[in-house]
Amino acid sequence: MSNHKALNMFGRSGNPSLNAQTFSDSTKDATFSAQATSSTMTLEGTVNKTGILLVLVVISAFYTWSLFFSSGSPAAVMPIAIGGAIVGFILALVTIFKKQWAGTTAPLYAIAEGLFLGAISAIFEAQYPGIVIQAVGLTLGTLASLLFLYKTGIVKPTENFRLMVTSATMGIALLYLVSMFMNIFGGAGVGFIHSNGLFGIGFSLFVVGIAALNLVLDFDFIEQGSEMGAPKYMEWFGAFSLMVTLIWLYLEMLRLLAKLRSR
Amino acid sequence: MDANSIIFGGISILSLAIFFYLGRFRASSKQRDREDRIDWSSRRFSLWKMFLYSLVAVGGIILLAQLL
Repeated sequence: MSNHKALNMFGRSGNPSLNAQTFSDSTKDATFSAQATSSTMTLEGTVNKTGILLVLVVISAFYTWSLFFSSGSPAAVMPIAIGGAIVGFILALVTIFKKQWAGTTAPLYAIAEGLFLGAISAIFEAQYPGIVIQAVGLTLGTLASLLFLYKTGIVKPTENFRLMVTSATMGIALLYLVSMFMNIFGGAGVGFIHSNGLFGIGFSLFVVGIAALNLVLDFDFIEQGSEMGAPKYMEWFGAFSLMVTLIWLYLEMLRLLAKLRSR
Repeated sequence: MDANSIIFGGISILSLAIFFYLGRFRASSKQRDREDRIDWSSRRFSLWKMFLYSLVAVGGIILLAQLL
């Protein structure tokens, strides 16, 4: 694939120094080539930015976590948690549609989601002591395991794999949406997905599996982006994609563990 | 510190170390040099097809829940 196509694929940069000519010139001039490399997406840059987003999530989560345990009441943190979730959702949409802004919106997204995660985690921890460290360990363990399986080529994402994972993700989102609307309008909701029975646990296991497979898609997107010389801001976008999947996986791990502990 | 924190805390630290170390390297040639890689520049399957599949999946899950 040509570099020009790579730019079309990952979104055209707002940076005027980056255009199709940039890459053809870079092969002629070694000095220019080094500059071009520093302005394109790299694996190391994406990993570093993922680290920055993780630190931001932990710092803001610590704030609501401490607030919950110092006040001892969910009411003290719920407005911040709900606000964080809504702001995070809006920032996620902005980042998806305006990838060039990812350098600003991705860190803000991490802070907003951290506020939400800290509050939710504290509520779960108060009910089931030790559950949060288990969910964190299992989430990060899944991340490392799947990265190893991807890098070594044991797991190979293909177009059919993408179709399956994306369709299942859309299906889960649809089911959650239907359940949410049924609850809002006084219905019973899709109760079985929240139950701690065998079906509820099986459903949670399925969702955890799909969330984990989304990580493989993220790895492939980042790998190909760096191979094709995508614009530098795509490092932030790649880190953001990874963070969205990790946060979803962590929440599903919490739900699964809570279901198992409540039996 | 209890055993739960030590075990899962250890897993977390080890996993982060693996992620930050392994993440910097390119994937193996077995992963990169193959014909059936995902083409991120285009969508081989339309969003409608994906939506249809997702509806089938949701229908299947609800049906299964009713049967069990």
